[in-house]
Amino acid sequence: MIESVSEVSDGVGRSVPDSRNVAVAVDGLSKRFGDGEEAITAVNDVTFGIETGSIVGLLGPNGAGKTTLIKSILGMVLPDEGTVQIRGIDVYDRPREAYAYVDAMLEGARNDYWRLTVRENLRYFATISGVDPDSVSERHDRLLAQLGLTEKADVPVRELSRGMKQKVSLASVLAGGAEILFLDEPTLGLDIESSRTLQRELRRLVEEEGLTVILSSHGMDVVETVCDRVLIMSDGTVIADDTVDALLQGTDRHTIEIASSGLTGRIVSKLRTRFDTLSVEQLEPGARIELTTDSDGLYELMDRLRAEDVPLEHVRTVEPDLEDVFVGMTSLESGDR
Amino acid sequence: MTARHTDAGDAPRNAGYYHLSKAVLYREYLIFVRYPANAIGGIIVALFFFGVLFYGGQMVAGQALTDSIEGIIVGYFLWTLSVGAYSSISNDIGSEVQWGTLERHVMTPFGFAPVALLKGVAKIVRTFITSTIILAVMIGITGTTLELHLFTIVVIATLSIVSVLGLGLAAGGVTVLYKQIGNWLNLLQFGFIVLISAPAFDLGWLQFLPLAHGSALLQRAMIDGIRLWEFTPAEIALLVGVAAGYLVLGYAVFQYATRRARRLGVLGDY
Repeated sequence: MIESVSEVSDGVGRSVPDSRNVAVAVDGLSKRFGDGEEAITAVNDVTFGIETGSIVGLLGPNGAGKTTLIKSILGMVLPDEGTVQIRGIDVYDRPREAYAYVDAMLEGARNDYWRLTVRENLRYFATISGVDPDSVSERHDRLLAQLGLTEKADVPVRELSRGMKQKVSLASVLAGGAEILFLDEPTLGLDIESSRTLQRELRRLVEEEGLTVILSSHGMDVVETVCDRVLIMSDGTVIADDTVDALLQGTDRHTIEIASSGLTGRIVSKLRTRFDTLSVEQLEPGARIELTTDSDGLYELMDRLRAEDVPLEHVRTVEPDLEDVFVGMTSLESGDR
Repeated sequence: MTARHTDAGDAPRNAGYYHLSKAVLYREYLIFVRYPANAIGGIIVALFFFGVLFYGGQMVAGQALTDSIEGIIVGYFLWTLSVGAYSSISNDIGSEVQWGTLERHVMTPFGFAPVALLKGVAKIVRTFITSTIILAVMIGITGTTLELHLFTIVVIATLSIVSVLGLGLAAGGVTVLYKQIGNWLNLLQFGFIVLISAPAFDLGWLQFLPLAHGSALLQRAMIDGIRLWEFTPAEIALLVGVAAGYLVLGYAVFQYATRRARRLGVLGDY
C-alpha cells in the first residue's frame, strides 16, 4: 500500500506534490459560488497529489465540497484560484490533452445511452475518449466478461436492472482504456455480490494495469476495502489525508457498548443528550446502549455512570472502523460533539 | 491524441475525426431505425400542418394559393430542414444533460464544441431524410412539378441551414447556461418562416440574415430549374459568407456560454 505522495516545498514553506510519478496534482484549489455575504466557499485552498497506480477515496458529508472538487479537477467547474495538473498537463490551459488520460463516471447508472446496447455504448464512448473502437474490441470482450455482462452485450441498456446499468456505466468508462478514472458512487445501487465483484475488479485494474482511481463514495466499507489512501473533506477543506490504517490508528474515537440493569430511562435520556448514541435496547430490567465518544468523553461517561450508581454488568469496546473515524473527524470539524 | 494504457491483446489506436464522425452518425442511425416513432411522428405532424395550410388556403384563397404553391412547398421544405438543424444542437444538449452524458462529451480529447457540431450535423443528415419524405408527399398531394436537381438542392439547402446550425449552437450554449430556457428558444423556429419568406419582401439587408438569401436561391433552383453553376459568383459567395458568418458567431457564443457555465458551476446540472 502507498503511504502517501511524496511532497516538496514550493519555496514559500508550503508543501506541494512532487510531480514525479504523480497522476493528479491539485495545488491551492479554491472555488466560491455567489457574491458578497451570500458567497459560499465550496472548495477552500485544497492541495494534494495522487500517485500513479493507487486508489484514493474521497469522503465527506453532503455539502463538503467533494463534487465541486472532482468537477474542478476535471475542468467542469473553473476554480477561482489554484491549478490542477493531470500527468503534468494543466487541465485549464490544455484540457483536450489532459482529457486524453482521464474518464469519469459522475452520474452513476445515468452515464451512458440507454437506447443503445451495452456493446454499442462501449464502442461509442471509447471513440469519444479518443480511441478507435476496433482496436480495443478484445478489451471490450474482456470487460464484459469480467463484469458479468457478456450475455447482455447486445441488449439495450434501458432493459437492464439498475445494478446492471451501473456495471455498464463502469464498463463504458473503462472502454477507452483511460489511465485515470474518477468514479462517483460506483457501487451505488449494486447488490452485495455485484459490489464486491466491482471492488475486486477495481483493485485488479490498479494492481495489474496500473490504473489510478479517485473514488467518491458514502460506502465506508467500499472505501476501507479498496482504497490505498483516503481524503476526508469537510466545509470545503481536506481535514484528513492518509492511509486507511493510519487513520484508524490515529483516531481518538471509541465505540462502547454498555448493558446494565441500572440504566433507567432517565439515565439513558441524559446520556443521549451528551453522547453520540448509536443504539438503545430496552432490557428487563435496564437497557443496553451503544455510543461513540473520544477519550475525554470516555472518562466522563464512566464518571457519570459511577455518579448514578450504574453497575457495569457488561462493557464492550468496538474496534473503530473508517465510519467511526469519519464521524469523529467531521463532527469535530463542525463543532458538533 | 490519446494516452491510454494497454493490456493483453490490446493495440489501441488513436481515433481521429473520421472515427468520431462515424460513431456519432452511427449512433444517430441506430436510434433512427430502432426508435422510428419519433421520426414518423415528426413527419406526420409536419404533413398535417401542410395539409391544413394547403386545403385551408385553397378554401380561403382559391386560385391565388394554387398559383404560388411551388413557392410554398419549397419554403416549407426549407423550414422543416431549418427546424431540424436549429433544434438539433440545443435539444440534443438538453437531452444529454438529462441523460447524464453531457460531461462525457465535454471531457473528450476532441473538444466539446466539435463534438456538439458533429452531433448537429448527424441530426441534419437525419432531417434531410425526413424532409425529403415530406417534400415527396407534398408534391404528391398537390400535384405540383418541381425541378429536382439533387446536387444543386443539396448544396444550397445545406449552406442555407448551416447558418441556422450556427443559431442552434448559440441556443445550445445558452441552454447549457440556463437549462430551462431551451424550450423557449424553440419558439424562435417560427421566426424562420419570416426569414424564408424574406425574398418576397425584396429588402436588400434581409439577405444577410440566416436563410433569407438561401431561400431565394432554393426557390429559383427548384421552381425555375437554375443549376448551381448558373448562379453568379456573388450570389454563391453571399450564401457561403452568411453560412460561415453565423456558424462562427454561433460557435463563439457556444464557447463563451460553456465557459461561463463552467465558471458558475452549472455545466451538466439540471
